[in-house]
This record gives sequence, C-alpha cells and structure tokens, in this order.
Amino acid sequence: MSNNKNEYFEKEYMPKMHRIGKLTGLLGVVVSFGPALVLAVVYGLLPKPTALLTAFIAAASSFGLLWIVEPISYFPVLGPIGTYMAFLSGNISNMRLPCAGMAQTAAGVEPGSDEGSIISVLGMAVSVIINVSVLTVGVILGSSVLSMMPQGVKDALNLLLPALFGALLVQFGMKQKSLAVTLLIIGILIYVAINAGLFNWLPGASNYLPTLACVFIGIGISLKMLGKKKEGQ
Amino acid sequence: MDAMKIANSIPMWAACGIAVVLVLIQAVIFAKNSYKAGKKIGLTETQMKKAMKSSAITSIGPSIVILSGMLSLLITVGGPMAWMRLSLIGSVMFESIAAGIGTSSVGVQLGADTLTPLALDMAVWTMILGSIGWIIFSTFSASRMDKVQQKISGGDPAKLTAISGAAIVGVFCSMSASHLVKLNKNSVSCILGALIMAVLITVSEKKNIKWLKEWNLTISILAAMIITALI
Repeated sequence: MSNNKNEYFEKEYMPKMHRIGKLTGLLGVVVSFGPALVLAVVYGLLPKPTALLTAFIAAASSFGLLWIVEPISYFPVLGPIGTYMAFLSGNISNMRLPCAGMAQTAAGVEPGSDEGSIISVLGMAVSVIINVSVLTVGVILGSSVLSMMPQGVKDALNLLLPALFGALLVQFGMKQKSLAVTLLIIGILIYVAINAGLFNWLPGASNYLPTLACVFIGIGISLKMLGKKKEGQ
Repeated sequence: MDAMKIANSIPMWAACGIAVVLVLIQAVIFAKNSYKAGKKIGLTETQMKKAMKSSAITSIGPSIVILSGMLSLLITVGGPMAWMRLSLIGSVMFESIAAGIGTSSVGVQLGADTLTPLALDMAVWTMILGSIGWIIFSTFSASRMDKVQQKISGGDPAKLTAISGAAIVGVFCSMSASHLVKLNKNSVSCILGALIMAVLITVSEKKNIKWLKEWNLTISILAAMIITALI
C-alpha cells in the first residue's frame, strides 16, 4: 500500500505539478510585461534606454542577489511545488511561509514529508486567494480608505510585521528551543556585524546574508543532531 | 496627459487584471490536484480542511500588512500596478523601492514630485524587470534543487523533516533578528509578539482549547501591535 501511495505521488502528482508550475511561472513572466506593453501601445510611452539601464543596474545591485538566494533559502521549507507557488504570488516570508507552516501544524503532518508538502500547497492556495481578495477590495475602496485612516493607525500597522515574525519564531522554535536560540543569536550577530560595516564589501548583504546563514547553519546543526541521535540508538 | 490618469486607466486595469487572474488560476489548479493527491496518499478530508481553515485565519494579519503597503503604493503608481505588484511575485518590502529607483532614473522623486508619464513608465519597467528575476530563477531551478535536496537527505524522511523544520526556524530567526537589532518600537513589537504567542500556545495546549489554538497567532500579533503602539 505505502508503495502504491509513493508511486502515485512520485510518478503522477509530482511530474504534473512540475509541468504546471513551470508553465505558470513562464506565463507569469510574460503577463508581468502587460502594463509596460499597454503604456507603450496605448499611450506611446517607451522607456529611455539609458535611464532604464541605470534603473535596472540600481535595482539589480540592491536586490539582484535575492533572486537567487531567496529561492535557495526558502526551498528547504517550500519544497519544489511550494516554490512555484510562492514565487509566482510573492510575499513569501510574510505570508506564504506562515500559512504553509500553520497549515502543517493544524493537520499534524511533518514538514518535508509528502503529506507536509501537499498540506503546505493547500495552505498557500488559501492564503493566495485571501491575499488577492483583500487587495481587490482594498484597491476598489482605494485612496478613500487611505485618507480616512489616521496617521496613528498607519504607524501602528507597521508594527504588525515584526510581531508576526516574533510570534512565528515561537510557533516553530518551541519544539526545538536550543536550535532557535542559537540561530537567533547568530542572526543578531550578523546584523550587528553588517551594521558595523564588516560586510560593506558585499552589496546589500543585510537583505540576504542573515537568512541564508540562519537557514543553512540551522540545517547543518539539525542534521548533525539527527546523526548523533541515530548513533545513540 | 496626466500620469495618474494613465496609471488608473482601463487598459492598465485590464493588463494588471490578467496577471492577478493567473495567480488565482495557479492557486486553484495546485489546490485541486493536491487535494486529490492528498486523499490518495492517506490524508483525511478533516485534516486537509483543518489545514485550510488554519491558513485562512493565519492570512488575516499578513493581509492587513500587505493591504497597508498597497495603499501607499496606490497613491504613487496608481491602483492597477499596486494591486498587481502585490498579488504577483512582489512583496511589500520591495515594490516601493523599485518604483522609486525607476522614477529617479528620470529625475522624479517618488512621492515628493508630481509623477510624469515618463516617470510612471520607468517605475513600471523597473518594477517588472526587478521582479522577474525571482520567478525565472525559482521556476527553472526548482527541479534541480529538489534533486540536490534528495541527494543530501538520501531520501530519508527523518532527514527531510529535520531540514525543513530547521529551515523554517532559520527564516524566522533571521526575520526577527532584523527587527530586534533596530532597538525601536519594532523590536518591542517583535518581543511582545513572541511572548504573547508563547503564553497562548502553552495555555491552549495545556487546557486543550481548540479555538485558541487556531487563533493564537492572530491574537498575538494584534495584541503586540496595539500594546506597542500605545506605550
């Protein structure tokens, strides 16, 4: 039975998802250019090539490394299918990952397992639909909402994201406290080092270095501890 | 022609709408196939529904954050672009930076100067070129990264779980650290969010309060935000 299950997952589900994932990713790149095309065709607005090059270089040097580092850092959590989904919809650390993780907790499945990967896709799909719905209502109500919102409320909303990260750290770190504390200290030390200018030779290091380090040091420690546990048995 | 009129025109809504619909279609196709596969590999419908409900509740807080990010983008680059960029690939942290880089390349300060049509075009192009790198790399490396991970773990489920479990802790350690080192209200909010969450998890586990288990994240972050804003 378990062999059949595995067979279906590996031979039917995964290849199909890979195909759809690649196709939708490619389509995502194409439709991204829609607004630029409209500006060019309907309004005759073409970008100035030299200015565009300047802008592209500026953008690429501030977050170009993220294009490569983020998919690598988030892959161990998202898995291949989750990667297609998360990167097409964006808002990964602040929405897709929390929803995938909380869904796995609610279903009682292990992250990294076949079951875990399916549950995280379901969780992310729900979060995509809610995200888009909220944004759609928001954009229709538009600036009228914005003008009604007192400055105090806007300032307060900026505090929601740090609270979310703190709470999620507890949610996922409680089961592996020593790992969480170690990685948090490493993360803080790297940020302190970046702020002190030790990583000035790495452009935009604060954007990716701490996450990359925390994720892969974490994986290293965790695999080592697992190896020790097995030896002990 | 006024740049904001162009930015909020019907053709722009249509172009951005196509992109938003693509994201929705992908989510629905993936969810449908996964639901079917879930039943085949032995997940119960209760489990999967529970997971989706939990995700829906978890989405509330982050949705508000993204919404408030969109509202500020809305006045700078117009409704359609703001709506599309935060539904497709983009993230709150990155989009307004990209728009700013774009407009400044033709000498317009985003948010301070009046937007010219050319500056709008530059902002749109920079936001697009700045974001497709993510999707190109992730889409074409997903299969390869999967192979690397299988090799490292040797297909051992315990190892795969250890890898994923450690990685998610790593992500949120790094994200929390970025706010903790600021030593301002963000740090306070981060610590409060963590403390309230710890208390709620402990209480809901000990007393086995089902609704609290589902809502503890949303309650924690809203409480942390309100308390921090008031002090």
